Amino acid sequence: MDNLISDLTILFLLLPPIVGASLVTLLKKKRVIGIITICTASLILIQVFFLVSRIVSEKTITAFGNTFYVDSLSTVILLSVSVVGFVAALYSKNYMGRQYDNGTVDDKHIVRYYQGFNVFLLTMLVVPVANNLGIMWVMVESTTLVSVLLIMLYAKENAIEAAWKYLIIATVGLSFALIGTVFFYYANINANTSEDAMNWTGMVHNAKHFDPNLVKIAFVFILVGFGTKAGLAPMHTWLPDAHSEAPTPVSAVLSGVLLNCAFYGIIRFHIVSSVSIGPEFSNQLLIILAVVSIGIAAASIYFQKDMKRMLAYSSVEHMGLISLGIGFGGLFGIYGAMLQIVNHAVAKPLMFFASGSVSQKYEAKAMSKIKGIIRVMPVTAILFLIGGLALVGMPPFNIFLSEFMILSSGFKSGQFIAMSLVILFLVITFAVFLRHLVKMIFGNPLSEMKKGEMGKLAIIPMTILCSLVVIFGIFIPMQLQILIQNASTIISGGGFA
Amino acid sequence: MGTIQFDVLTISGAILLIATFGIVATRGFMDWLNAYRYQSIVLSGVTAIIGYVTGIWEIYVVAGLTLVIKSIIIPKVLTYVTRKLEIEFKLETNPYVSIRASVIISALLVALSYFLIQQIPFKSDPIVNAYIPVSMAQFFIGLFVLVNRRTVLSQVVGLLIIENGLFLFAMALTHGVSLLIEIGIFVDILVGILISSILLFRISRTFDSLDVGKLENLRDD
Repeated sequence: MDNLISDLTILFLLLPPIVGASLVTLLKKKRVIGIITICTASLILIQVFFLVSRIVSEKTITAFGNTFYVDSLSTVILLSVSVVGFVAALYSKNYMGRQYDNGTVDDKHIVRYYQGFNVFLLTMLVVPVANNLGIMWVMVESTTLVSVLLIMLYAKENAIEAAWKYLIIATVGLSFALIGTVFFYYANINANTSEDAMNWTGMVHNAKHFDPNLVKIAFVFILVGFGTKAGLAPMHTWLPDAHSEAPTPVSAVLSGVLLNCAFYGIIRFHIVSSVSIGPEFSNQLLIILAVVSIGIAAASIYFQKDMKRMLAYSSVEHMGLISLGIGFGGLFGIYGAMLQIVNHAVAKPLMFFASGSVSQKYEAKAMSKIKGIIRVMPVTAILFLIGGLALVGMPPFNIFLSEFMILSSGFKSGQFIAMSLVILFLVITFAVFLRHLVKMIFGNPLSEMKKGEMGKLAIIPMTILCSLVVIFGIFIPMQLQILIQNASTIISGGGFA
Repeated sequence: MGTIQFDVLTISGAILLIATFGIVATRGFMDWLNAYRYQSIVLSGVTAIIGYVTGIWEIYVVAGLTLVIKSIIIPKVLTYVTRKLEIEFKLETNPYVSIRASVIISALLVALSYFLIQQIPFKSDPIVNAYIPVSMAQFFIGLFVLVNRRTVLSQVVGLLIIENGLFLFAMALTHGVSLLIEIGIFVDILVGILISSILLFRISRTFDSLDVGKLENLRDD
C-alpha cells in the first residue's frame, strides 16, 4: 500500500508536463496553450509542496522498485524547479504574446515553444528524482537537447550561434560525465555485484569498498562533465551565449534551475566519493573550480556591456559560491550552499524577467542604451533594483545570508588563500555590478519614451519572486529550514539524514 | 580463454582503430561518413563479440541497435543533409593541422591512451585489455577531430566518434550499463543528430557558410 502511494506520487508529479505537452500539440490555439502550460506548472508546484511536507516527516521516498528515490536533497532541487517553472510559465504568456505581436515569432513558433517548455520541465523533474545514475545522465543530456531547441526558436544569427556552441560544448562535456558514471559503476560492481549497482543508494552503500584510485579518476571526470553543464569555469564558455540569446523565460529557467540540476549531479557523486575516500579530495577540487569561476565571473562582469550576459556571468559566480560552500564543508558551509541553491533560483529569474521586460521596452540589450528605467517603468525598476541588490549579496536580502554562511565556513576551515581571493573577486563584482545597475535604473532615458509597464502578467511573477527574495532574507519558513538542514546532513553525513 | 578468441579481440580492436584513422586521414565529408559507417559496423561486431564472451543476451540487442542506428539511420540522415548542403557549399576543407601531421598526432594519441590505461587499476580481463585503450583512443581522436577542422559538419563527426568511444568504453568495462539506459543513450544520440541537422541547415542559411570561424558574433568585448 505504501509502495503504491509512493509510485503514484512520482507518477502524478511527472504526468502534468507530459499531458501538457500533448495538449499543446493537439490544440495549437495560441490563447489556450499558454494557459495549459500555466496549469501544468501550477499542478507540479502544488504537488511539490505536498511532497515537501511528506519528505520533512518521512525523509525518503522510493518508488517503482528502486528506480526513483526522493530525499531532502532532491526535494530542494524539485522545489526550485517547480517554483521557477511556475513563474516562468506565467511570464511566458505575456512575453511570448508580445513577441507574437511584434512579429518576432509566428503561430508555429509559439506551439513549438510551449511543447519545448513542458518537455523541458519534465526532464528537469526527472533529474532529481532518478535513483539510477544512468537515467539521471540521460535526462541531463535531454535537458541540453530540449533547451537547444528552445534557444534556436528565433532564427536570428546570434541565437543559432549560441544554440550550436551550447549543443557541442555541453554534449562533449557530458560525455566526460558519462565516463565518470561508468567508472563509478565499474568500481561498484568490482566491490560487490549487487542488483542495483547503478543506483545511487546502492553506490553510497558500497562506497567504502571502492578502489580509491578509481574513485579519484571517476570524480575528476564527473566534475569536468557536470561542471560544464553547471557553468563552472573554465568550462563555462557556452553559458553567457546560451543564457543571453534564449527567450527570456527560458533564460530564467536555464540560469535559475538548470544549473542547479547539473550541480545536483556533482553533489550526488561528491557524496559517494566522500564516503569512499573521505571528503578532502573532492573538496579540494571543488574549491579550486569555485575560485576560478568566481574570478572569471568578476573579470567578465567588469568588462561587460550586455545586460543579459552580465546576469549570465553572475550565475557563473553563484555556481562558484555553491561549489565553494560544499568544498569548505562543515555543516555551516553546506547549509549555506544549499540555501544558495534556493536563493539563486529565486533571485536570478527575477533579474532575467526584469531585464527581459526592460529590453522589450528599450528594444536593446546593451547597457549603454538603457538609462532611466525608473522614469519609464517604475515598478519594474524597483523590482530590478531589489533583485540586483540581492544578487550582489547586499543585506537584508536573501543571498547575503547564504554568502555570509559560506564565507564564514571558509574562515572556520582555514582556507585563507582561497578566502582572500574570493573576497577580492566578490568586492569587484559587487562594485561593478552595482555601478552598471545604478546607471541603468537612474538618470534620464536617452530618447523620449512612453511611460508604461509591460502588463500585469509580467509584473505578477516578478512580484512573487521579489517577495520571496525579501522574505528569505529575513526568515526562512520552518519546513524549508528542516528540508535544507536534512539535505546538508545528507551531504556531510554520508548520504543519509 | 583460448588464443583464437584473444586474437579476435585484438584484431577487431585494431580494425576499429583503422576506421577511426580513416576519418582523420580523409578530406571530404562523405569519406568521413563512410568511415564512420564502417567504424559503426565493426563496433556492433565488437559488441556482439563481447556478448558472446560474457554470455549476456542483452548485449546482442544492443549490438543490433548499434548496427541499425549508427550504421544505417545516422549516416542516412547525415547523407541527406550533406547532399542538400553540397549544392551550395564547398564541403571539403583543409584542417588546421595538415593531414599528415594529423595522422601522426592521432598515432601519438593512441600511444597516450595505452599509456594512460596502464596507470588505471583495472582488473585484468581480456576484453578490458583489448578494448579499453581503443575506446580511449577513439575518445581522444574524436576530440582532436572536433577542434581540428574548420566546418561545423566536422564537429558533428567529432561528436559521433567521441560517442562511439564512450559506447565501447562502457561496453568493455562494465559489459553494458542496463538495457534501459543504453536505449536512453541511443535516443539521446538520435535526437541530438536530428537537432544538429536542423541547426546545420539554419547555420548554412543564416550565415551563408559552414565555417566555424563565422560563428563568433557573441563575445564579451
